Amino acid sequence: MIPPTLYIATRFIVSRKRSLILSMLGVVCGVGFFICTQAQTQGFEKYFIQSVLGTSGAVVISDRFQPRYTQFSGTSSADMVASSGQNARKYYEGITDPYRLMRVARSFSNVLGAAPIIRGSVSIASSFQSEVLRLEGIDMRYHLGATALREQIISGSIDGFGAQPSAIILGWMLADKLQVRVGDNVTVTAPTGTRTFKVVALSRSGINIIDETRGYINLGVAQSLLGKPSSASVITLRLRDPGRAPELAAHLERLFSHRARSWQERERGNLALFSTLKISAGITVSLIILLAGFGIFNVLTLTVLEKLREIAILRSMGYRRWDISAIFLWQGLIIATFGSLFGCGLGALLTFLVSLIPINLRGVIFATHFVVDWNVYHYLYGSAIAFVAVLVATFFPAQRAATVPPVDILRGSGQ
Amino acid sequence: MTPHLPPPCLICEGLERYLGEEESRVHVLRGVSLTLEPGLVHAVVGPSGCGKSTLLYLLGLLDHPDAGSITIDEVPVASLSDEDLSATRNERLGFIFQFHFLLQDFTAAENVMIPMRRLGRARMEEMRARAEFLLDAVGLGAKVDRPSRHLSGGEQQRVAIARALANDPRVILADEPTGNLDTSNSERIFSLLTTLVRENEKALLLVTHNPEIAERCDWVHEMKDGVIFESRPGLRAPGSAPS
Repeated sequence: MIPPTLYIATRFIVSRKRSLILSMLGVVCGVGFFICTQAQTQGFEKYFIQSVLGTSGAVVISDRFQPRYTQFSGTSSADMVASSGQNARKYYEGITDPYRLMRVARSFSNVLGAAPIIRGSVSIASSFQSEVLRLEGIDMRYHLGATALREQIISGSIDGFGAQPSAIILGWMLADKLQVRVGDNVTVTAPTGTRTFKVVALSRSGINIIDETRGYINLGVAQSLLGKPSSASVITLRLRDPGRAPELAAHLERLFSHRARSWQERERGNLALFSTLKISAGITVSLIILLAGFGIFNVLTLTVLEKLREIAILRSMGYRRWDISAIFLWQGLIIATFGSLFGCGLGALLTFLVSLIPINLRGVIFATHFVVDWNVYHYLYGSAIAFVAVLVATFFPAQRAATVPPVDILRGSGQ
Repeated sequence: MTPHLPPPCLICEGLERYLGEEESRVHVLRGVSLTLEPGLVHAVVGPSGCGKSTLLYLLGLLDHPDAGSITIDEVPVASLSDEDLSATRNERLGFIFQFHFLLQDFTAAENVMIPMRRLGRARMEEMRARAEFLLDAVGLGAKVDRPSRHLSGGEQQRVAIARALANDPRVILADEPTGNLDTSNSERIFSLLTTLVRENEKALLLVTHNPEIAERCDWVHEMKDGVIFESRPGLRAPGSAPS
């Protein structure tokens, strides 16, 4: 048997259909909009993070630095750096023994893969025009385990790439600018000379600044072209839990005496932007839910005023103060429950519809449609906010109802 | 050997009640004492504003006296918590208001079942059967499932009477229960209540302006200016000498 207070609450609420629908509509819209906006902002953020992780890795180990101590005697003053405070460090470009560091790095349980990369800026030319190329020399044996390059290939093939010294993979936007396709030849001009490469594949990372400047060739060829034999510019690490990248980066930095930067540190600016957008959307939608809460507060306050006589009758029949409160709290709970359920449905529908909207995003990231994130937590958070707002809005009318002195109402009531 | 007398259902002693604030403060009850024995029907009569309804609300535990005491079934209620007062109202008291005060969103049977639901001692079918029985007793057997707003004023009052009897209370407090009923229904309800009280060792306190009804009660208490100035047997009560 359902509790008598729930039974009475249900009847009270059903008898006021218009108020019920209006109250619930506010909650439904609030929850639905919350889910939809979170799905969008989170969608773009996650897409960006995945692109960053897949392209540059969760942790990037780069230049070696001198241990932080002051040298009191010895070598020439040109090698010295004034040691004032924490930031005084002298960096030596690149990593001289990348494979040894990679072996040590892979011994950490969080590290899934590690790959050396040598970087340099060169010029690339097709028969159509020339462009600046941010060249990355990669060791394909390790690179595919540390990045998402295989998934980023949109045309051509990277099979056998390691055995082709003249193979080059180009970012699809750079290829577009150069007007080259898979199978075409390009000329790369570096300080050590000029060399011709054959485009074997095009990649799309999703981050425009990368796709319009980057090209990959074999590590050994790049070392020779850039005049940096047997060294790497960076080691990129793929992690099991990218969320713990800052801790690992700090640890590796101390261990290796090489600069190690997590993706969170490298992309701080962009992440702050996404975070701000998310908060901004969250505030906007929370205001809608708050507004719905005010609506419910008004409706329930009016209900209490309208039901004063019923409250007094119930009290005369032995219903306790708490029972009277419970009748109104149940009404809030019913509105919150069904409002959240329908709100989740609306949120899912809106999210789906939004994901179909075509866009032509060519900024920080590349996207042809709205990127949405299907995350159960959005539904839980949206519902939780609605429950809190509705229950707070219900609490005061419920308290008021409980404290109504029945005799005052009965004394003043007549037909 | 003294015969064993059952304890009174309700005793009130020296009830005082003021209403209003400061200059508009009125001394409504001035030391009212009453004892409601089981099986007897009491009537309180008096002019409007003499304190009858205030007395009824105090005895119904809907209001607190400024002085005096109330004992229901040998339990002094002054020290009871709101929870216990509510439980006493639910289980031991049946209140019939001058105006029916039904819950308009509920049917006749549902209205009668509301106190039973709060008591929570019976199964749903048992509650439903008792509601049908009580509604039949007040002549509404054919209208148990009719929404109360679709009943006439007299019918609604009869539902309210059935509702007051729902938990089989020891004390029934009625404020002009037959005031809105026609003569035949008024007679029927009064007979029902008095029979119920006399056969089941309950007590009924009736506030009425109707001298015909009052004189058929076992005791008539005449009130004026917040005081019961005379308590006498009803002239036409069963067992009284014919007038």
